[in-house]
Amino acid sequence: MASFKPYTYFQCPCTDTNLPPRRLGESRPPSSSSETEQEDDRTFDPRAPRANFSLYPLEHLLYCEDCHQIRCPRCVLDEIVTWYCPNCLFEVPSGVIKSEGNRCTRSCFQCPICIAPLSVSSIGAPPEGLGAEYVQPSGPYVLNCAYCMWSSKEIGIQFEKPNGIYAQLSKVKNGGTPVITPKERRKDREERSRDASVPMVMEEGISEEGEESVNLDAHEDLDAESQFANLKAFYQSQLAEASPASALGFTGGDYGYGSPGALSRIMGLYTGSNFADKRSKSKTGTMREAQDALEGLQLCNTASDEETIARLRNEGYENTASVAQLKEQTHPAHIHSVDDLRPIAYLLRTKRSKRCKTCRHILSKPESKVQTTRFRIRLVAPSYIPSISIRPLATSQNFLLTPFKPTQFVLTFKNPLFDRVKVSIATPGTTPGRFESRVTVLCPQFEVGANTDAWEEALREGAEREKRRTKAEASEGQLQAEAGKVWERGRNWVSVVVEVVPTSLRADVLMKEEDRGPVREDEDVVEIPVFVRVEWEAEGQGDDTVVGEGGEGG
Amino acid sequence: MTSKRAAKGEYIETDTGNKVSRRSQIIGTTNIILGGKTVIQAEVIIRGDLLRAHQNSAEKQGSPVAVAIGRYCFFSKGCELRPPGKVYKGWFSHYPLKIADHVFIGPSSVIEAALIGSHVSIGANCTIGKFAIIKDYVKVLDGTVVPPNMVVPSFSIVAGRPGRVVGEIAEGEVEGMDLREVYRGIGNG
Repeated sequence: MASFKPYTYFQCPCTDTNLPPRRLGESRPPSSSSETEQEDDRTFDPRAPRANFSLYPLEHLLYCEDCHQIRCPRCVLDEIVTWYCPNCLFEVPSGVIKSEGNRCTRSCFQCPICIAPLSVSSIGAPPEGLGAEYVQPSGPYVLNCAYCMWSSKEIGIQFEKPNGIYAQLSKVKNGGTPVITPKERRKDREERSRDASVPMVMEEGISEEGEESVNLDAHEDLDAESQFANLKAFYQSQLAEASPASALGFTGGDYGYGSPGALSRIMGLYTGSNFADKRSKSKTGTMREAQDALEGLQLCNTASDEETIARLRNEGYENTASVAQLKEQTHPAHIHSVDDLRPIAYLLRTKRSKRCKTCRHILSKPESKVQTTRFRIRLVAPSYIPSISIRPLATSQNFLLTPFKPTQFVLTFKNPLFDRVKVSIATPGTTPGRFESRVTVLCPQFEVGANTDAWEEALREGAEREKRRTKAEASEGQLQAEAGKVWERGRNWVSVVVEVVPTSLRADVLMKEEDRGPVREDEDVVEIPVFVRVEWEAEGQGDDTVVGEGGEGG
Repeated sequence: MTSKRAAKGEYIETDTGNKVSRRSQIIGTTNIILGGKTVIQAEVIIRGDLLRAHQNSAEKQGSPVAVAIGRYCFFSKGCELRPPGKVYKGWFSHYPLKIADHVFIGPSSVIEAALIGSHVSIGANCTIGKFAIIKDYVKVLDGTVVPPNMVVPSFSIVAGRPGRVVGEIAEGEVEGMDLREVYRGIGNG
């Protein structure tokens, strides 16, 4: 705590439920007169549990020019501009997201043990002899973690090619056995149904798929993906059987309940039987559930639980996957040991534009290309709202407050606008909470100059700095700020002094019985709510009210 | 780099405005490019001697570059810049370390990245692994170990051991990552 730095946060008023949202088509924001009257009565309590979610540094806030309000991450709407892989920085089209999911399907993987990036390397013997450096390394390839030295060899996975790892990895299980793809399963299933219905099948069909059907038995252990595929196929076939040919002539199959026929039936539910298909009503029978692994049924296997426990006993804690490791896995359900973990394909990241929730104007819009960092639109609060910074008046003094000793702080308001602004600030006499410190603002009303040309600043800087220094030196002797007067003033900034008399943190001297008790979390920090009203005249009248809050060391 | 002025003080100021501490260790100066207005504090080590092992004759003539640094960079006390190295086609070789503009490196951090983009702020006691690529507008918090070969996309906040992206840089924070003011604040005075 010895190096506590005073800070200022801004409160976004979006969580105040008594503010009506601005309706579309309303030309002006809600009139400030009635609103400010309400606001004057109400003081903001930085200790309230909800205050945590409405306090932000100024840099995190946006500003809506139409609502004349700051906008925090909670009162903006995000819209995705681009999806991209954070590792290879390739843009992924939104169509691919829908079909392939939200992970990178190239060769970008994270280590299942430590989440560091994995790199592909060859484990083939390095070529030797003359011109060896010109020979491309040959396979097999493995995924390597350069941080924890994990390798995909540990889970028995090797690759033939150094690229397209995602596709290669999806075809092998841990240990190197190939995964039966849903396509192969479907083939097998169709074949079985053909077998069942028509015993005399075309010979070439069997010979072609003969070796695949060997793998599929009715009690095999399925991984989550193939179980889902089996279940989906089973229920689709059930639906196809249950819903017969519709009005449009589709016969079940892929058109299941989402078919136009089903839709017309649903529409006819309340309007009478005009839309309804009479045949479908009569034929709605019961559907049976999945019965074996081919249909997606997985029986609870008590033996495997015992096996897991035995493994846990034998291999100990270091071979058990941690919660953090399981959290990163796509199908963590049946994983217990680190040998079952799989490399994690990188989750895609997005570039997002932001809109005001109230008026739907765009507040921030990045360029859509992944590699560019420019913004097309960027309305950020620091370019509209005066920044407020706080520092102790006496620089030599240590930052920690001493109970009952008046300590003075300098609040500096810096104006980013090209117009002069009138600032009025107010604080409650004592800070909210159990330990009430007394707070006095020595100069509650002042004007901050416009942010004029930067060149002017540069030219004037030398003289100004000189002035500042003499002022500081003069005040060093008396350390006394005059009430009603600005402490320091610059081209576009003004400093005023706030005096804080911190209270003692001894809970036993508190007045109320119920307040007594040990010091709770963060109660040793003095948090002062400061109401700031900024007025300026631009085209038309622009009133703006912001509640800022300063925290000071204790 | 070499135009030393007679003025006594902590920093040697070059013609392009670099402020280099007299107590820094810069090895292989001919292989280092400084874009100008860069501050190098005391006890900073820059290993310009770690060059590519075998230069192809086809490559353009002139002094090879081991470390390239842009403008308004700030290297705090005790940090180290090392070009990354690896075995490629049977040969061990170092590869150039490129640092763009407005890059802040905190005290005692070790940088072995391949590329650090503009407006990157790296905290104290960090390790940036070999061949890491850090794009523009990235903050690496104190004590982070960025693993080798990691790519950090723009507008990320990285922390942890191993480092991972823990947050995003807000739109309004972009201006605050400019290091011009920091450069002006450094001097012999």
